[in-house]
Amino acid sequence: MIIHRLARLGRAIAVTSLLAFASAAVPALAQSPTEIVVWHAYRGEEKTAFEKVVAQYNEANAAKGVKVTTLAVPYDAFADKISAAVPRGKGPDIFIYAQDRLGGWIEAGNTVEPIDFYIDKKDKDRFIPTTVDALTYQGTLYGLPLNFKVITLIYNKKLLPTPPKTSKELVAAAKKLTDAKSGRFGLVYSYGDFYYHAALMNGFGGRVFDAQRNPVLNNPDNVKALDLLMRWLTVDGILPAEPSTALVTSLFNEGKAAMVFSGPWFLGEIAKGVDYGLAPLPTLDEAGGKPMRPWMTVEGVYVAAPSKNKDKAFAFVKYLTDTPAATVLALEGRQTPANKAVYDDAKVKADPVLEAFRKQVEVAVPMPNLPEMTMVWSPATTAMNLVTKKAATTKAALDDAQKKVAADVAGLRKH
Amino acid sequence: MATPAGALVHGRRFAAGVAVGVAAAGLLGALALRAARDHEGLLRAERTDVVTLRALTGVVEAAGGTGDGVRKGVAAFAAQAPELAAIRVVAFEGISLEASTAAADTGDKAAPRRLDREEKDIFDRGQRIRAAVETNRQEGGARKEEIEIRPLPSGGFGFAAPVELGGNVAGLVDVVTAPVSTRLGFGPGAALAFFLVPVALMLLAWRPLGAHRHLLAAVAVAGVAAAAWLYGGAAVRTLREDRSATEAAVRERMASSGAAATAALSAAGIEAPLDPQAWDADLFRRPLAIVAPSGIDAAKSAASFELEAGVLRRIVAGLAALAVAIALFAGYGQAATLFGILRKHREAYAYVAPAMVGMSILVFVPFLYGIMLSFTDSNLYNTNQPISDIWIGLKNYSAILGDFRVVTRAQDGSWMVNFDNFYYTFFFNVVWTITNVAIGVSVGLVLALILNTKGLALRPIYRVLLIFPWAMPNYITALIWKGMFHQQFGVVNQVLQIVGFHPIAWFDRPFTSFLTALATNGWLSFPFMMVISLGALQSIPSDLYEAARVDGATKWQQFRGITLPSLRPALIPAVILSVIWTFNMFNIIYLVTGGEPGRSTEILITQSYKLAFEKYRYGYAAAYSTVIFAILLMYGWFQNRVSRGTEAA
Amino acid sequence: MTRRGNRSEEPAHLPLHLILIAVTLVTLYPIFWVFTIAFSGKQSLAIAELPADPTTWDRIRSVIPWPADVSFSNFTSVWNDQPFGLWLLNSAIVAAATTVVGVFLSCTAAYAFSRFVFPGRRAGLMSFLVSQMFPGTLMLIPLYIILVQWLGLGSTRIALVLVYAVTAIPFCVWMLKGYFDTIPKELEEAAIMDGASPATIFFRIVLPLAKPAVAVTALFSFMTGWNEFILAATFMDKENLYTAPVGLRFFVGGFSQSWGYFAAGSIIVSIPVVALFMFLQKYLVSGLTAGAVKG
Repeated sequence: MIIHRLARLGRAIAVTSLLAFASAAVPALAQSPTEIVVWHAYRGEEKTAFEKVVAQYNEANAAKGVKVTTLAVPYDAFADKISAAVPRGKGPDIFIYAQDRLGGWIEAGNTVEPIDFYIDKKDKDRFIPTTVDALTYQGTLYGLPLNFKVITLIYNKKLLPTPPKTSKELVAAAKKLTDAKSGRFGLVYSYGDFYYHAALMNGFGGRVFDAQRNPVLNNPDNVKALDLLMRWLTVDGILPAEPSTALVTSLFNEGKAAMVFSGPWFLGEIAKGVDYGLAPLPTLDEAGGKPMRPWMTVEGVYVAAPSKNKDKAFAFVKYLTDTPAATVLALEGRQTPANKAVYDDAKVKADPVLEAFRKQVEVAVPMPNLPEMTMVWSPATTAMNLVTKKAATTKAALDDAQKKVAADVAGLRKH
Repeated sequence: MATPAGALVHGRRFAAGVAVGVAAAGLLGALALRAARDHEGLLRAERTDVVTLRALTGVVEAAGGTGDGVRKGVAAFAAQAPELAAIRVVAFEGISLEASTAAADTGDKAAPRRLDREEKDIFDRGQRIRAAVETNRQEGGARKEEIEIRPLPSGGFGFAAPVELGGNVAGLVDVVTAPVSTRLGFGPGAALAFFLVPVALMLLAWRPLGAHRHLLAAVAVAGVAAAAWLYGGAAVRTLREDRSATEAAVRERMASSGAAATAALSAAGIEAPLDPQAWDADLFRRPLAIVAPSGIDAAKSAASFELEAGVLRRIVAGLAALAVAIALFAGYGQAATLFGILRKHREAYAYVAPAMVGMSILVFVPFLYGIMLSFTDSNLYNTNQPISDIWIGLKNYSAILGDFRVVTRAQDGSWMVNFDNFYYTFFFNVVWTITNVAIGVSVGLVLALILNTKGLALRPIYRVLLIFPWAMPNYITALIWKGMFHQQFGVVNQVLQIVGFHPIAWFDRPFTSFLTALATNGWLSFPFMMVISLGALQSIPSDLYEAARVDGATKWQQFRGITLPSLRPALIPAVILSVIWTFNMFNIIYLVTGGEPGRSTEILITQSYKLAFEKYRYGYAAAYSTVIFAILLMYGWFQNRVSRGTEAA
Repeated sequence: MTRRGNRSEEPAHLPLHLILIAVTLVTLYPIFWVFTIAFSGKQSLAIAELPADPTTWDRIRSVIPWPADVSFSNFTSVWNDQPFGLWLLNSAIVAAATTVVGVFLSCTAAYAFSRFVFPGRRAGLMSFLVSQMFPGTLMLIPLYIILVQWLGLGSTRIALVLVYAVTAIPFCVWMLKGYFDTIPKELEEAAIMDGASPATIFFRIVLPLAKPAVAVTALFSFMTGWNEFILAATFMDKENLYTAPVGLRFFVGGFSQSWGYFAAGSIIVSIPVVALFMFLQKYLVSGLTAGAVKG
């Protein structure tokens, strides 16, 4: 207790004296432009398009004394780097990352700036509503959505002229195209990966956390979804064993997989000469005709809590997520923006890939941004493996996973 | 031995030791008391101001959170509450400043209006408090503080509390208090006594006791103990008086705030009951029930004080122990010996120092921090709390080491291994280490021996080709190995089928899964061992072999009698270190098996990683790491004893 | 007896070559796959391609690593689309400095541990060993606090050199100490008689004799700095200060995995290591000569 108060006092004094220092320094620095630093994890065409937007912004705002600079950080190091640098005031003014780490950063504190204050309903309405939900944590919005990623149905047009609309059509078509002995499959996707499986789970109305943030991995809907997967795998036999992402790519490129469930990242791996099409994931006859609902990850643009130029940083966040910039990201960076107006652009409308993902996202569910989500992956993977290797029943495997996750959550949320 | 000069040396040493010891202890003791009194001062400010804030919040809630009623009520309250410098009431709906008594908020800026950009932090604070209230409600506990306090540069405090309307947090009351001094005093008098008593005793005892070192020591201990007892008693008394004053201040504030609230309600024209009992509350808005308008519950007050008194007593006892340690260290001549040693071997220490300093800063500091963390319940949700609040002693260790459920009963009644259990993972970790090091060392050594053959052609080429596994980034080679074990398309199963066997589902069983990681790591680690063995082989003088040949020793005898013993000095450190590295070989397990199937191929370090970064239980993960460390330390100690005989010099 | 001894003195070379060739092939097999991916011009991680109803011959073809079409496009993309050369240079600077600092500090420490008898010697040696025992999972943030927050070394190569050198030192000290122990003291004693200073003895007599061990520690220190990723990515806030491993990881993070680029980059990154080894191997096998020891 004693140290508690003293530490707080010390921190507050340090912060206020820093602020005083900073404000004293402002007049002296007024001549040189304010630097807004942005960290991102883009590479290749995404990076090029992003840097182009930044250059445009810098050109337009040179007179206002603002200069945005960017730093690309490898995805694998990004979250750790943010956790190490930002709370200590050493990080960027803005950073861009998927929502799955958001809850953890908020709970750790002094990392992500809440932005409800800056925006009104009209600002929020520019975006696909679920992408805004993805960046909302306990009723507070912490960033603006830039791009989203969802999986959809990708099919080989040569093997399958028209994509299935329902799960029955899917199974019927896939059965015809499957010849397991020679390594041909009607449908290939990383079904053992919980992320991919979530499309089925959400389709049945299943979920990982309930509204009170309690884990509910073994709810009846999740069991039903896993039962359907097992029917596809064992009874219908339309899926291969051990479907790693590398295998999915190989089979599709060799023309041995008619259909694949995957996301925009997969398109870059498709070999030249494979004629493919995109279509929404089928509806589930087994779930009363409800659509499959994939998990959506959203790249949020966040203002760093210790930033000294929050207003200027937020101005750039707004610019970046606004229609003209997001259109550049879509057309040149091959991204799928969360900004709805982008899809009214004639060029975007004419792009079958962007249109397909726009359609798919309508039914997508944001992946939970609770910190406790990291506790789910390992037990869920174990459960998926046990079930797909027929070492446990769907119910037993999910019960076991639920027990583990519930214990871990309770271990963290002690009072 | 009992010469007068020698006797005086002992006395002088003890006197000096006691003086230095109690000086340090006295100073630290005075600082501890000051810190404790500062804390009490802060607590007094906190509790009195929470009373006022709760009274004020009650008025705002009764007035409906928005509108003229709130403004009138707040103005009337402020008029009777001189301890508050400014009151702001914010409604979330429309981000609106509903009432303000701040000097700046007049004229153009008078409430009601939308908050300015400069006032964003007030709104964010409100949202944070709303989320805290909702979280506590959802979880049915008290995890996040519902009243926020922050010290201000002016010397006052900022307090914020939620405004609840119909069960929802709809706004907040944010107050700034007038500057108050929370410093209750320093109290150097008692600390000085702490210093003087033992020193005086020592000065008296010095000459008469002369050469009797143990008697001198007894006097030193007695002196320090007496001083600590006196000082501890005085310090606790001081703090207790402070606490009584705090309770009185809270009661006084309850009365004045009650009057202010009554005035505010009548100014706003509202009839509403007041509940002053509930105003004395903690930061989770749970009533403390120590102070009520009718009086102070002395028993409860004393009980709440007992915890802090205990901490203070323990601190004083610790300081006394420190003083005794210093006194005895100096008194028995250890300090003099230490200085002597440092001077005598300064050359050796100078050689070692640069490496040692680097190690201390970059390895031992984080390492000590990790060990300290292992005694706490540090996790994602309490990273901002001080160590003292989350200290749980050995609980993490007992949870890890006390869980013997290595096998459990499955739902169908069959026994199965609990792969998450520490002892299973430890067992697997040991098997993993032994097999890997055995493979790495034997393959590396055999290759080195072959490559050391005199006159063998192409040796440099082989050597270069064989270090490729070490040179190539293992992130990709490990994944290539994983791919080679794919059930349907992996190279290994293709070869098995060419030879006529059935393919194996490598990652489905713990044992075969282990083999994939073993193959990968063996492949990765033998080049390093080969290089070390090559280097070590050069330390063997060739004339030894010549002499052996002259004596008619066979090749095998030469290997046993010359090569192996000569390799030991260089090879043993390499083996010890590769045991340690392999024990903690995170990457390969993580990349190749990922712990599957069912976490059966996890090793301790991957478990520790998952505890920290998937379950956010930093303290528990640190304890896990410390256990790993202890295991390796025991191994190192044991190995060192065994191999001590081999050391030349 | 003599004849038998002579024969065993020079074992038949052919079986040794056969063993070495077999081992080398097995060792290089996964490396061949890395080359195959790198030269394939594609981005997917190796998966054997099997036609329908594979015959034994198809299976054999599928296990031979060779790309369907040989292409250099992955190499040119890696080299041209990002400042890979600069990152490689940064890695070289950091790793070289790590080697110099690490070898120097561990030589002095190891020499003291080997030649002086002083209180705390055993404890000191143990503490170097102990430093390797504490698992580093929770170390990133403490290291960040020490190096960046306290010492202000963020975005400097010095921070990386310090961390890498300290990581490498314990092994180097133990390795060198073990080797120094095998060097007879008589040599130094003779030099002391001749009035040589300790520095002269160390640099003129001990160090030249310890060349193989110094070569091993140098290679080890270099590798410690050369392949490290997470600290380099965390401490460096400027793209032109990144090291090659950081640059490599851009290719495989997150959803998109460009294994072709990664493989090509890995090959580029291993070339300097192999070159360094080729340079060091003449020291690695230059041991004590018979004359120098028991003169």
